[in-house]
This record gives sequence, structure tokens and C-alpha cells, in this order.
Amino acid sequence: MISFNFDYYKPNSINEAVEAFIYLNSKGKQPLYYSGGTEIITFARENSIYTGGVIDLKGIPECNALELKQDYLIIGSTVTLSEISDSKNYLLLGEVSRGIADRTARNKITIGGNICGKIQYKEAVLPLLLTDCYFVIAGENGIKTYLISSIFDGKLKLKPSEFLVQILVPAENVNLSGINIKRRRNSTVGYPIISVAAIRKHKQIRLAFSGVAGFPFRDIGMEKEINKQNLTIEVRINNAIESIPYPIKDNLFSSAEYKKFLLKNALMEIINTLEAINEDI
Amino acid sequence: MRSYLILGKSIKRVEAEDKVTGRAKYTGDYNIVGLLHAEMLTSIYAHAEITNVDISKASNVKGVKAILTGRNYPYLTGSVIEDRPIIAIDRVRYYGEPVAVVVADTRANAKMAANLIVVEYKPLPVVNSPHEALKPNGPILHERLMEYRRLGEEAYPEPNSNIANRTKIRKGNMDRGWRESEVIIENQVSLPQSDHAAMETRTARAEFLPSGDVIISSSTQGPFFVRKEISRTFNIPIGKVVVTTTLVGGAYGGKTNVQLEHIVYLCSKAVGGKPVELVNSREEDMISSPVHIGLNGVVKLGCTKEGVLKAAEILYLFDGGAYSDRAVIITRAAGIDCTGPYRIPNVWCDSVCVYTNHPYATAFRGFGHGELTFAIERAMDMLAEKLGIDSLSLRIINALHTGDTSPTQVLLDGSFGNLTKCINRVSELMNWNERGPVVTEKNKVKAKGAACFWKTTSMPTDSQSEVIITFNEDGSVNLNSGVVEIGQGTKTGLAQIVAEKMKMDINKIHVYLPVNTRISPYDWKTAASRGTFMAGRAAIRASEDAIEQLKKIASIVLRSTEDELEVSGGRVFLKTNPIVGVDIKDIAMGYIYPNGNAIGGQIIGVGRNISNLTSKMNAESGRGRPGTEWTLGAQIVEIEIDLQNYHYKIRKAASVIDVGKVINYMAAKGQVIGGMAMGLSLASREEFLFDSRGEIKNDSLRTYPLLRYGENPEYIVDFIETPQINGPYGARGVGEHGVIGMLAALADALSRAVGVSLNRLPLVPEVIWRAVEEGKK
Repeated sequence: MISFNFDYYKPNSINEAVEAFIYLNSKGKQPLYYSGGTEIITFARENSIYTGGVIDLKGIPECNALELKQDYLIIGSTVTLSEISDSKNYLLLGEVSRGIADRTARNKITIGGNICGKIQYKEAVLPLLLTDCYFVIAGENGIKTYLISSIFDGKLKLKPSEFLVQILVPAENVNLSGINIKRRRNSTVGYPIISVAAIRKHKQIRLAFSGVAGFPFRDIGMEKEINKQNLTIEVRINNAIESIPYPIKDNLFSSAEYKKFLLKNALMEIINTLEAINEDI
Repeated sequence: MRSYLILGKSIKRVEAEDKVTGRAKYTGDYNIVGLLHAEMLTSIYAHAEITNVDISKASNVKGVKAILTGRNYPYLTGSVIEDRPIIAIDRVRYYGEPVAVVVADTRANAKMAANLIVVEYKPLPVVNSPHEALKPNGPILHERLMEYRRLGEEAYPEPNSNIANRTKIRKGNMDRGWRESEVIIENQVSLPQSDHAAMETRTARAEFLPSGDVIISSSTQGPFFVRKEISRTFNIPIGKVVVTTTLVGGAYGGKTNVQLEHIVYLCSKAVGGKPVELVNSREEDMISSPVHIGLNGVVKLGCTKEGVLKAAEILYLFDGGAYSDRAVIITRAAGIDCTGPYRIPNVWCDSVCVYTNHPYATAFRGFGHGELTFAIERAMDMLAEKLGIDSLSLRIINALHTGDTSPTQVLLDGSFGNLTKCINRVSELMNWNERGPVVTEKNKVKAKGAACFWKTTSMPTDSQSEVIITFNEDGSVNLNSGVVEIGQGTKTGLAQIVAEKMKMDINKIHVYLPVNTRISPYDWKTAASRGTFMAGRAAIRASEDAIEQLKKIASIVLRSTEDELEVSGGRVFLKTNPIVGVDIKDIAMGYIYPNGNAIGGQIIGVGRNISNLTSKMNAESGRGRPGTEWTLGAQIVEIEIDLQNYHYKIRKAASVIDVGKVINYMAAKGQVIGGMAMGLSLASREEFLFDSRGEIKNDSLRTYPLLRYGENPEYIVDFIETPQINGPYGARGVGEHGVIGMLAALADALSRAVGVSLNRLPLVPEVIWRAVEEGKK
């Protein structure tokens, strides 16, 4: 039961969506862009979020795209995690998606919602951080395209009227060998203690993490350490963990020490798996 | 062996079609004209003074009819000790405690208003664990503990302390016990508070009629208990209170407590008697309503070199939370069966219920036994290891038998179940000889773990069940009992018992599923695995009563005597010449002679069953006979663990339980499997996570994990049938027992796999990792 009342808008175009936002904002309605709704609904139930108006993006054709066009895989922001994993267009993203929540929830949770929501894990962004993709963002200043590294820093840096329209993944990066290791407290479903996505390109491992810090990140310094192939695997892993630029903290589901333990094992598995694959690009 | 017509068969539940088609209705499913809705505001502190409650903004919300705060309702309630206000009065003692309640025309308006109530708190020091509760000079939660009214059942609170109850068990002579012990071990365990997680959240509705009747509808396991509580708390003649309960969507003990019923009573009264409903949100159901109890236990065991147990010294420290409710009796139950099903001549046990600033605890499937069994069985495993003998062999050596005495010094009679048979059967089913650890692939190890258990009831000595059967024109039967259908299928079992006794087609037994305290015969509570055990015998007696009445009228019609007659297949006939008889349909509503003369009337069979021969316990020694019967059994769990990260899979779980007699095979198996799943879920992941201020950080199913459907292992269930003389057709209770040994069996399997004794629940990989790391030091 949501105790407050709110307006509901379902625009058919990007422009209409932005206009609705500006209008609701001018009325002091604290509008929110709405996609799958799983976070807004559950947070509203417990009063940890408030809005006087939601703008449902699922009626916008661009947001529903999921296709390989020329050199890019286009993923609309309102595409559900189930659709992504079922499409098998992008295997690593599909694998990460399948690890989020449960099937029933994934039929509602969208990639845009997962990346732009308040919950810290945002695991769907992990493969994207590794593949030099672009985010198409709409707002009152029009539609712009950004390289992920320039606009995602722990979270997507959106201005109030802006929303994520699409993600463009370079086709050459979609089918790179990849792996996702997710460890939970003790369940096959639920939030991660740690979730790590990795790929190998040009004989270099790329790593992105969720759960380790309070936000998802990819760190070039860690990757440098992990790729020093002249050192032993143990040393590479220890150096990589030492170079994590953020403090690893205890949280509800795990102590910091246990996180480090899991991280070491995950990195070991990643190196052993990815460096064993011969068809390297 | 006796052969039965219908007993032991897997008869489909009487409510099955209604449930699978979605037509079955639960308490909150009714559309009632003029119904008002209540919503609670709950505490955001675990321990604080309420310095001010400002309802001015909330009062202005559209549709608000009343706002209730604790100060206006100075009632205290409780199950044994009256220590709990209905709505917090001037002070909150747990995170989630109801602080104010709004009644409005819609749930949304009520909730909107509840959010606008401004409560000012002054935080108080928090008691955040059972050990903290016992610290000298620590905060006392109930300064007036000794002044609280007590409600008949045994409770031994201690002045100027946080101890709500101490049950003492003293048997034999401890000095002698330790003298005769050549091998001694001591072990500590802990398990946290957790949730019942029933699918249907608790729901209650109240209404005052102009006649003075108070109508309460509630998703309760004890409508008659609710009636008694409402009558006593508000001083209303008991007959004026009517409590109705329809189907209940899972309960597990959590719905034996009376909480929302008191609140809706006050709400309805505040709005002139109009009907008011309160439905717990999932979050409220998890922490505002009572929870599963936590335990810290210390067990010291002594035995001879051959493994014969001589002495046990046991301390059970239960985390009863902020109010004592049923935790007092859970503590007592854990004392009664404190040793597990083992012959120990010298026993010292203190089973203590302490107050903490945690949610308050009430009954949970197993009623203290999953907890005590975890403590005892882990100690038994430690002892077996020290002795160098197989852990199940140690249990067989010490198994209790007929002629032995229990910790409360009850002489075990010929009805006592056969633990050795259970152990042998479960060992065979799970191939215990290959218990591991076995390396299955790189870094993976498979191992098995075992546990045994027993459980008797812990209920008032006058607890009882009654059954009424009435006959219809076509000779079919209506069955009415006060047992609540909570998903356990008892009423189907009762129908089987009546059909068996009447030698009648099961399809001719029509079951009345709801309970209405003005219509239904009395039943204490649908709890303690006693539905079939207690009401089953009442059903037999009701059938016998009806048979007697049928024979009486048939003897007139057939011009014979009652002892010459037999009832079977819907007829009453001469034993010596079955062709001569009369159909039940022709005498069920009286017999009409050809000329129109009529005799007799509706056949109504009545059966009663009171838990006779149970007695109170001695305050100093515990001596007494508190329970009706013991159900015992043995369980084995098989796991496979990845030693790289300590994540594991539960592969198989087996239970062999001595149930006396299986009434409905699939129903019994289903009950046991359900219990096992619950036990594995508790053991492997469930716990409320408290921060240092006693605030619960995972009061939602986002963050509170339960065993998922796909995570269930393969379940194996088998039964041993040593008849229980005072049970229906020899049957014992089996509703709770699947859960009991699972906690210890999982811990044993994982301990065996990693080579370190695991004594803390839940067994999440981090706990195992930490124990292994500490073991290395």
C-alpha cells in the first residue's frame, strides 16, 4: 500500500517525456521517471521515496529497442532483464542479468531502472563498464550521447530532467569471453556480497565490481596489477586488492574481511578461466 | 496387523479444490460494506521513552475517523504474564512496536495519516542480547515485573532482573553423575531470532453489534483463546464475544499470539462499533508482530568410556524479546525435554527466558525443541568425536526406552516410541556408513550429518478438543470441530477418522471448515501438533456416540436389541443376518412408520477429549507430567560444500519419525517435508540482523532470505508405527517434528565437511569461513 497519491504519465515520445517532467517539476511534484517500477513501488510502500508524479518511459519506442544495428548492439533503457537474458544478444550481460533478483522480478526490472535506481548494486552496469559503450541521454537540452566512462562514476550522472534512453554497445565487444562471479550471503537469489564481471580483450583482463565499495566501479589501476603476467597469480591478486581505490567496509551481509576473501577467490577463478581461453583477440 | 478402510490413505484435502482454484477465502478477503481500515505507526527505536505524540496533522487527513495512542488505553496483555500494552504506553521496548493506530475510511488514508503522526522519543540504553540482559546494573526492561498479573500457567520471574521465567529441572545427583563420568565435554551454541514467514500476514477485524455482541474475525490459530483474551482484557462476558476464523494461510505458531485482535477491538470501539480491519504489511508481520525465539545454550555432558551418559548440566538462555508472551512456556518446554531423547540419570537444567529490546517471541513450529535439539545434538556430536565412536551409535547406546524416566521424572510407558528403529531406518535410507567427508571434485566435499529429537506438548492441563457430528437426510454427516485449518489438513484427517469409525464412504463426511466460537465446539488452540492427536480421539468418541444413537433407534425399528446390531456402509443391520437392516438415511432425522408416526430425531454425535493425566511441574525440580505424548525421530542431511568459498548445496534430507499410526500418508509426509524445509531455511540463512542500537536492518523479504523453491534438496520421509495408547488409532502428533532435528543435522554435516565444529546459526558461508579461520589459529 502506497500512502501518498501521485499522477501517472505515459508519454509516447522522448520529447513528451521531458515536457512532462518539466511540467510536473514546475508544479513541485518531485517527478520521477518510471520504468519497471519495482524500486519505486517497494520504496514508496515503506516511505523511503516520495513522488507526486511518475513518467512511465515504457511507451517510448527508442526505450524499447533491442537490436544489433550496424556496429552497435542497441539496448533500450526499458528493456527488461529477462528480455536481455532471453535474447542471448550479449551473453555476459545476460548472465549478470540472470543473477539479479528472481525471474518474476526480472520480468519487470529494466536495465535502465537497474542502473539508475537508488539501490547501490546496479549490477547490470558491470559488463557495460568493460565494453566501451555509449549512453544516450535525453533531457531539456536535447538528446546526447556519452562514452560510459565520462558519465558513469559510481552512478549515472544525470541532471534532474534527464533520463537514459539507450545503451550502444560496440558489436566487437559483445561477444568477448567474459565471466561473472557473484557471491551472496547464502542463497541463489538476492543482493551480492560481491559481484565481479570480467572480460579479456587484447590479452588484457578488464574488471568491474559491485558490492566491494558502496557503488559499482571499474578501476584501471587494479587491472594493471592483475595483468602483470610476469608475476605469480597470488601476487597479482594481492596487488590488485591492495590497489582498490576505495575502502572495503562491513555491511549488513558481510564483514570486510570475508569480502576480501571472496574477492581473492573470485579473481583467482577469473584469471584461471579467462587466461585459459585461447581464441584471444 | 489390523486393516483399515480409509485410515493411512492419502485422501485429498477437503479444501483442496477451493485453494487451487483461488476461491478459498482468508480473513482479509471479504468485502464488507462500511468497513473501516486501521494502520499502525511503529517505533523506530528499540528502547526509548515516548515524550510526545502529535496527531494534529494526521487528524486533518481526509477520511480519518480516530487516532489511538497508548496512553488512552492502559491495558496490559500477555499469554502468561501480563506485561505488554496493546499500544506502547510512554515507552517503547522494541523496534517496530505499535505506537499509534489510525482508523480511516480507506487503508491509504489511514496510512497517510499514520505517516503524519509526529512522535518524539528519548532513547534509552538498549539490551541487545540475552547476555546483556543478565549484566549486573544493566537496564531493566520491566521495573514492575513482579507486580504484573499472572494468568494461571507456571511462570517464575525474578525480581529486579530481566528474567521473565526460570524453569528448573533437577534429577538425580550431579555429584554422583560427574563422579561416574570418565569423559566430559562442554559446548556452546547460539541461534538468532527469526521470522515465521507465513504467506498470509496476520489480519484481524472487529465489530460491536447493538445487541452487545463483540464480533472478532481473525487469522488465528486459537479462536477460543482470542475469545478468552478479549473477554478478560476488556471485562466482557465471554459468551458475548464471538470469534470467527476462516482458512488461515500458514501460521507456524506465530498466530497463537493475540495482538491485532486487541488493537482492532479498541479501534472499533473508538468509532462507535463499526467494523474495523487491520492487515499487517509484510514488514509489520515480520517485526511488529511476534517472532521466532533466539537461544544461547551451554551443554555439559559426562559419560563413561563406553559412552553411557551419566550427567548433563544445561543452561538455555532464550531471547524472549521485549515482552514475555509465550516465550515463558517455550522456556518451560525446553526444560521438559532438555536432554533430548537420551537416558541421563543426573540432570541439572536451567531454562531461562530473558527480556531484551528485540521483538517479542511467541510459539514457533517445534516450540523450543529445534533450539534445544541444536544445543544437545551438537554436544552429543562433540562427545562422540571425543570418544571416537560413531555419533549415531552413541545415540543408540543412550536412547530412552519404556521403563526409563524423562528429565521431569515421568516413567515412560509402553507407548513410548522407538528411537533405535528410527535411527536404523534413516541410516539405511541415507547410507550413513558413507557419511564422509568425501572429496567429490577439486575443492568440493560431500558429507552427511545426523540428529535425533523428541518432543512432547507443553500446554495447560485442561486443554481439550471437542467434535460434533450431525446427520443429514441422506445419511451423510457434517463434521464440526474447533480445529483451525492452517494448511495442515487436520480436518481431512478427522473426516477419515469418522469415516473409518462409522465404516462409511469418506465422500459422505462433510467438513465445516471455519471456526465460530458460538457454533463450533471448544478447542484449546490449533498448536503443539495436537489437532489430530486431540480432536482425533474426540472424533472417534463422537462417532461412537452417534453409532450408539443409531443402534438405539434401529433396534426399535428392527425389533431387536442394540448389541445385536452393526453399523456399516450407511446401514444398521443384524450382525447375524445382514439382510435385515435399515438405511441410516431413514433414521438420521427420525424414523417414520408407514402410517406417518415418527420417532427419534436428528442424530448428533458428541465427542470430548481433555488432556487428562497431565500435571503441573514442581517449581524446584520440574518433577511432573506436563505432556500428553512424545513423538521422536531421527534425521540425516547431506551437503556438498565448495571449500574455496564455503558455499554449499543441501543435496538430500531424510526423516524417520515414530508417529504411532499414519492417518493420512501424503498429509503426514507433506507436514514432515514442510517442517524439514523450514528447519533447513532457519539453519542455513534466516536471522534478524540487529545493529548496535537494536534496530532491525532486514525487516523485508528483499533482505531477509528464505529457502527458495529451487533450493530444496531431495526429501525422504518414512514412518515407524509404535502405537500410542491414548492417541486416535495409536497416532501421535507430527505437525512440527520435521523441523526439529534439521538445525543440528545441517550443522553436523557441514562440521564434518570442513573439520571444524559449527555451533552458531545461521550457517551462512561467512560463519563457516570464520570458524575455519579461527580453527587454524
